[in-house]
Amino acid sequence: MEHAVEMRGIVKIYPETGLRANDGVDLTLNKGQILCLAGENGAGKTTLMKVLYGLEKPDAGTISVMGNPVSITSPLQANRLGIGMVHQHFMLVDDFTVAQNVTLGKEPLKGRFSYDLKGAADAVDAVIRKHRFSIDATKRVGSLTVGQKQQVEIVKMLYRDVDILILDEPTAVLTEQEIESLFITLRALAEHGTSLILITHKLHEITTISDRVAIMRQGAMVGDFPTDSVDGKQISRLMMGQSVSLVVDRLPYTPVQHPVLRFDNVSVLKRNQQRPLLNGVSFTARSGEILGFAGVGGNGLGVLEAVLGGFLPISSGAIVHKDEDISRLDSHALRKRGLAYVPADRLQVGSALQAAVSENLIVDARNEFSRHGVMQRKKIEQHAQSLLKTYSVKGSPSMPIGTLSGGNIQKVILAREITQYQDYIVFSEPTWGLDIASSRFVYERMVQLRDEGAAVLLISSNLDEILAVSDRVIVMYRGTIVAVLESEELRHVTKEDMGAYMLGLRQQEAPHG
Amino acid sequence: MNPVAIPVLHSAVAIMTPLLLAAMGGLFTELSGMLNIALEGLMLMGAFASIVFTHFTGNMVVGIALGVLASMLLAAILGTVTLHLKSNVFITALAANLFASGLTVVLSFKLFGNKGVVVFDGIASLPRLDIPVLAKIPVFGDIFIGHNIFVYMSWVLLALCAWVLYRTPFGFRLRATGIHEQAMVSLGMRPSRYRFIAFLVSGFTCALGGAMLTLNLGAFVPNITSGKGWIALVVIFLGQKKPIGLLFAALVFGFADAFSNYAQGAWNVPADFILAIPYVFTLVAMVLFSIYTSRKNRVE
Repeated sequence: MEHAVEMRGIVKIYPETGLRANDGVDLTLNKGQILCLAGENGAGKTTLMKVLYGLEKPDAGTISVMGNPVSITSPLQANRLGIGMVHQHFMLVDDFTVAQNVTLGKEPLKGRFSYDLKGAADAVDAVIRKHRFSIDATKRVGSLTVGQKQQVEIVKMLYRDVDILILDEPTAVLTEQEIESLFITLRALAEHGTSLILITHKLHEITTISDRVAIMRQGAMVGDFPTDSVDGKQISRLMMGQSVSLVVDRLPYTPVQHPVLRFDNVSVLKRNQQRPLLNGVSFTARSGEILGFAGVGGNGLGVLEAVLGGFLPISSGAIVHKDEDISRLDSHALRKRGLAYVPADRLQVGSALQAAVSENLIVDARNEFSRHGVMQRKKIEQHAQSLLKTYSVKGSPSMPIGTLSGGNIQKVILAREITQYQDYIVFSEPTWGLDIASSRFVYERMVQLRDEGAAVLLISSNLDEILAVSDRVIVMYRGTIVAVLESEELRHVTKEDMGAYMLGLRQQEAPHG
Repeated sequence: MNPVAIPVLHSAVAIMTPLLLAAMGGLFTELSGMLNIALEGLMLMGAFASIVFTHFTGNMVVGIALGVLASMLLAAILGTVTLHLKSNVFITALAANLFASGLTVVLSFKLFGNKGVVVFDGIASLPRLDIPVLAKIPVFGDIFIGHNIFVYMSWVLLALCAWVLYRTPFGFRLRATGIHEQAMVSLGMRPSRYRFIAFLVSGFTCALGGAMLTLNLGAFVPNITSGKGWIALVVIFLGQKKPIGLLFAALVFGFADAFSNYAQGAWNVPADFILAIPYVFTLVAMVLFSIYTSRKNRVE
């Protein structure tokens, strides 16, 4: 079989950090094959693909495409060689139509200077029809769903006649249904002779979609097999260096607890909006349990986070903490009462990127570290040192937190929030973008808090995570609670059942959390 | 129509032209994703260089061409420092304004021995055009005829701008750069290239706006632009960053200025108050505009 791509001895060192992101990596891709490139965060998968797509210049190594040695210096040239890439974050202009986005940089002309808008729409429409996509070439991209936007990205590459397509974590933002239809599309493309590389770290996706799997760890290629010759355990062992599971050790759930935080028919309605963002939400978070909130993005999880964090005032109902109404309190007041909160957006909300790690650790407790209004550097430094050690953060107190990796930033935030929690703590998307080892760390801390008697609220769109650590689960759909699953039910609930609730296909009668 | 209204509106159309020209170029930098506060300095550069070169060459077309070149050179320096040397656009543009304001006075002193108003006697007044078709527009016809050539040129340029921005690949790429820079990078295009061209365009149109001020007057007055470049920025935002919007926004300010000119002669109010009208107007317009947009966003 002829090789579509052959990469040999690729070395890429980032000059700023001296990090060897790729250290002599070999990769071959056969024609018409679907290859999954697997590995933890920071294993070097994205770097390797950026080298192939001309976004990064390798320090050593050779690349040949369709048997010809090439040097790829820009995405434009990669396109010319028939290589396309769909990025993890969409590269789309919301104000333009689908056709205008797809043709950007390769616009059909009318005469010498004029952009042939009609011609662009027709050409894009032809690509959409040929590959049976469901999008409309004349629609504004800003009005599309996430799944449709991804289709636009794929069409963008197909319009450029690529026969080698790289997709960077294509399923990260999709619902189960959207993933299914994406996989159908990818298989059809492979049948037509397109060669595909998928970057992923989800085991079940690798086994579902790929013909071959290549595994990277710490900048090196550690395995390359036909998918049907390996099992999930083997892949996971190679990715991690050891076999791990998502099961977290913990004490059994003991239902003798007292209520800590109660939502009483809480609604959030913005002015000039028909549909409430939260609609009559009632639940009680009790001590010694992890209460999970599941849902697909845009169905109220983010709003719930904002309400719990005190950023968003509620329109009706009441929030009660230890028999006191806290509905009207803002973030500052809530923090004073002991709100501990790990936000979903750890870069913008959770930390001050330019500030030092030690400063980030004391933002809520400044008064304890100042004497007569002057900060006590030594005390702050010691405080930071001991927390960094306890939470095994790779970094020093004086480094700006923005220079740490995502996993380490999250550990710093955890350290700060756990130190100051009193009786309840909110986690929102706590492991988003983290690798398995860092995620495990987060889960272990959550379970530890729960065993100490804290009420832990976990807001997450990651179903695996919800099912792995929650004692009870509340499912949100369009701002309302559609299901509450008690701990016995959780043991035998399937992901399909959960999916049906999350997508609003099924609903419990009068669920009450 | 009120006999006073026609001359006031007629002069409003003339006064709005430098604003419209500067705002057009500013629209390019704005859409490419940069707040270009150097419009004022670019206008001043063009204003000074155009009349000086016209004076020395004795040819107005050559003079304007060289004036445009001088302003584009300043824009090119601004672009290079901002885009390739990665300095903060706000600071460099501010420096460009100060530089233009200082340089024009220094050169004026060196060349003509005068730091104040320099009158150029030998320069002919700007050619005026009577376009008979415009005169036939009912009621408003009189307002649009008999203007100097810059006024009509600005309308042609505005149409050209609209075409470039919305009907050419360049325009789409420029706007894409402003909305989602990484999308451009991922397709192998260089955002800095489009931004650099946007700077040059702003140098070009600002110079024309400046040239109209000095050539119309036949003299150079230190800081003759007197904030017009800043008001042009307001025009861009008030015009919702759309070519046709610029036309209306510029007309609003042209009218405020023309009205203040008229009021100076007609009303018995201290001139300082009346001269402040356009600036007060700018302030009020911006406040009203921000109230309007925040309402609109809330509805969405």
